[in-house]
Amino acid sequence: MNCAEVVKQIPMYGYGEISAEMEERIESHLTECEACREELARHRAFVDLLDERDEPIDPTLLTTCRADLRRQIVAETASRPHTGWNWLGSVRGFTAFHIPFRVPVGAIALVAIGWIGAHYAPARFGGVETAGLVQPMFSNVQSVQPDSSGNVSIAVDEVHRRVVSGTFDDPRIRELLLSAVREESNPGVRVESIAVLKDSADLQVVRQALIDAVSHDPNPGVRLKALEGLKQYASDAAVRKALANVLLKDDNAGVRVQAIDVLTAHSDDSIVGVLQDVMQKEDDSYIRARARNLLEAMRASIGTY
Amino acid sequence: MYDAATETVNATLAAPLDETGLIRAAQSGDADAFERLVRAYDQSVLRIAMNLLRSPDEARDVYQEAFLKIFRNLRQFRFDCSFHTWLYRVVTNVCFDHLRRRKVRKEDSTVVETQDGLVDQVTQIEEVGPAANPERQTWNRELSAGIAAALQELTPRERMVFELRHYEGLRLRAIGEILGTSEEAAKNCLFRATQKMRTRLEAFV
Ligand SMILES: [Zn+2]
Repeated sequence: MNCAEVVKQIPMYGYGEISAEMEERIESHLTECEACREELARHRAFVDLLDERDEPIDPTLLTTCRADLRRQIVAETASRPHTGWNWLGSVRGFTAFHIPFRVPVGAIALVAIGWIGAHYAPARFGGVETAGLVQPMFSNVQSVQPDSSGNVSIAVDEVHRRVVSGTFDDPRIRELLLSAVREESNPGVRVESIAVLKDSADLQVVRQALIDAVSHDPNPGVRLKALEGLKQYASDAAVRKALANVLLKDDNAGVRVQAIDVLTAHSDDSIVGVLQDVMQKEDDSYIRARARNLLEAMRASIGTY
Repeated sequence: MYDAATETVNATLAAPLDETGLIRAAQSGDADAFERLVRAYDQSVLRIAMNLLRSPDEARDVYQEAFLKIFRNLRQFRFDCSFHTWLYRVVTNVCFDHLRRRKVRKEDSTVVETQDGLVDQVTQIEEVGPAANPERQTWNRELSAGIAAALQELTPRERMVFELRHYEGLRLRAIGEILGTSEEAAKNCLFRATQKMRTRLEAFV
C-alpha cells in the first residue's frame, strides 16, 4: 500500500468500517511510515474536535415532544376504540368477562353501538333459554318460590339487546346517548357516545354531561374526548370552573395538557389564581412552562414556588 | 480503542432490555411498552432532527410525525429488519420531506439557515447546560456553531449519514439499509462528508 491509499482509508479505519485484512495492511504501513502516522494523528485531532460538539437536547423541547405525542396517541386511540390499544384501559377484554350493563331506570333499550359483538350468555342460563326466554344479556333472579306440587316459580329480571337507530333530534336517541355517557361501564361506548354528543354541546343538558364526564369519568380517554367537545365553550363559566379543577386535580398529564390548552384559548384574569396554583403543584414541565408563559403574558406574578 | 466514543453511543442504543418483547407487547396494544420503546430512541431522534434541520419547531414536527407513523404501522412490523433500522428509516424520510418542503418555500430556508439564527439557537441551548468556565463556554459555542455551519454545507444525505455514523454510532451497513442503499454507497457518502467537514473545520484543529 502506498501513502495515498493509506491516507484515503484513514477515516474509515478510524470508524472501524474496513475489512480486517485492510486494517492489517494499514497498520503495517503505519509502523514504517512517519508521514502517515502524522496524518492519523491529525485525523484523530479532528475527530476529537467533532466529539466536543456540545449541543444537549433542550429538555423543555423533549418534554413538549413527549406530551404532544402522548396527547395525539390518546386522542387517536379514543376515536378508534377498535384498535385494541389499551390506553383506554382494557376496552375490549371487558365485554367477555364483566357484568355488561347497569341499565338506567326508565331506559327502554340499550344502544348497541357497532362493535359490542359479544353478548353475555353464561352457561348457567342455558335452562332459561330452553324455557323460551331468548338470549338474555343479563339476568338476575329476584325470587324463588317452590309450591307444594313440586313446581318452582322463579322471578327473573332480564335485559335483551335491541338496536335503536335514529337521528340525534330524536329525544329517545339523545336520552340513550346521555345515559350511555353516564351509566355505561364500557369506556369504549362512553367515548363513542361522547363523539356523537359533542357536536351538540350548545344544548345545556349535553354540555352538562360533558362537564360531568371530564370531571368524573375514571377513564382518561373518555375525559379527553369530553374535553374535545368543550373546546369551543372555553368562555362558559361552568366549563371554565370544571376545566380549572381538571387542570389542578386530574392525575393524567395528557388530560391536564389538553385542559390548559382549552382553558387558555380564552384568556381572562379569572384563571390567574389557577395558573399560580399550577406553578406550585404541577410536575409536568410542559404544563408549567405554559402556565408560566400565560402568567407572564398577563403580567401576573408567577407566585411563590 | 480509537473509536471508543462512538462505541459508547452504540452501547446505549442497544441497551433497551428485551426490545423484541417490548415490540410484541406494543403490537398487542400495551401502551406502556410503546412508551418505553419511544423513550429508548426519542432523544436520538430529536437530536438528529435538530442537527439536520436546525429548527426546534421542525424538530418537534419530525418527532411527532415519525413516532405517529411508527405507532400507526407497528402492527405491520414483521421483524424483517431490525426495529431501529425501520425507525431511523422513517425518521430519515420525514426529515428529508421537511428539507424538500423547505426548498419549495424559499423564504423559510433563509430564515432558518442564516448564521445569526444558528448562533441564537446555540446560545439558547447553552443557558440550559451547567455553568462552566466562561472561556471554555465561548470556545464550545464557537466550535458547535462551526460544526453546525460545516454540516450545513453537506448535502442532506451526507449530513444524515454523518450524523448517524459519527454522532449516533450506527454502523454503515445499518445506515445503508436505512437509506435504502448499499453499504458501499453509504461509505462513499461518509467519506465525502468527512473530507468536507475536515476542510471546513481546519481552523479549529
Ligand atoms: Zn505513508
